[in-house]
Amino acid sequence: MNTWLLAASETFTPPGPRDFEFPGIGGSFFTKPMLIIVLGTLIIAVFFYLAARSAQRVPGKMQFAGESAYGFVRNSIALDAIGKEGIKYVPYLATLFFFIAVLNIFGIIPFFQFPATSKIAIPLFLAVISCVIFNAIGIKRMGFGGYFKAMMFPPGIPKLVYVILAPIEFVSTILIRPLTLCLRLTLNMFAGHLVLLLFVLGGEYLLRDYGGAVGIVSGAVAIFGSIVLTFFEAFVQLLQAYVFTLLSALYIGGALLEEH
Amino acid sequence: MLPDRTDHGSAESGRKGEQDAWGAFGLVVSGVLVWGVVGGLVGRWLDSSLPVLVGLLVGMTAGLYLVWFRYGRA
Repeated sequence: MNTWLLAASETFTPPGPRDFEFPGIGGSFFTKPMLIIVLGTLIIAVFFYLAARSAQRVPGKMQFAGESAYGFVRNSIALDAIGKEGIKYVPYLATLFFFIAVLNIFGIIPFFQFPATSKIAIPLFLAVISCVIFNAIGIKRMGFGGYFKAMMFPPGIPKLVYVILAPIEFVSTILIRPLTLCLRLTLNMFAGHLVLLLFVLGGEYLLRDYGGAVGIVSGAVAIFGSIVLTFFEAFVQLLQAYVFTLLSALYIGGALLEEH
Repeated sequence: MLPDRTDHGSAESGRKGEQDAWGAFGLVVSGVLVWGVVGGLVGRWLDSSLPVLVGLLVGMTAGLYLVWFRYGRA
């Protein structure tokens, strides 16, 4: 579709990685993704502060909303994935989930319309935190040697083969796990934002500049598609926050379970 | 890491499946990565491109073996 548009006229520039780079607001170092992080953090903090401020036995609307949100992470992620011991890690998992979810959702909030999590630094840092936590738990549980022995030397394999297998196990746990956590979130948000941009900008170009019956009909389809895709993005954004948190919880659960 | 297959009901097996899928993916990728890099370094040392190929194949085989060992046995 892009090449066809470009052939018709040179004026349409398709969205690309450049749309993910922002100049500082007012010429400063402070960019739009940073603003979204600050606002997102404030929104989460204010929401949970208001929800927990005057906790009653019979919850009010705010308290009910806060408790439902927190309860979702507690029951559907921490307790399900880790088990009874998961209760200890609910604060971390809840923070993780709501931070990611809110930063993702900024991708479809009018005027902001940019998922801050599509900047790789944010998911990468969160993935590193998760990685440090589950490894620290495993080391604390089984001792330094014991943890790496359980990770790298599963019983029941001929001794000589360990030479080949142990480095693979090590890399897959220490490097690939955080890397996949990070890339899955970043690229989902990156691709989603790119698709929305393409539909909106392409639709606008078709309607305004390309014109004619073809331009108006296909432009209208594209704009309508962008609305449908916005709802789809909302779903993906929440799902990815859930997946990131769930996998972090499963890794923690795995580190707690491992015993050999 | 080691899948615990003793006590999860049907609701949990979906989540376990997700973790297993990514665990298997990670093992194959890191197998190719580790031994591909080792092969590449040996190849640079010997000034030959054969060790990369050997490393990639060994890594892939070992990764697939680990997937079978961790997740494939009954």
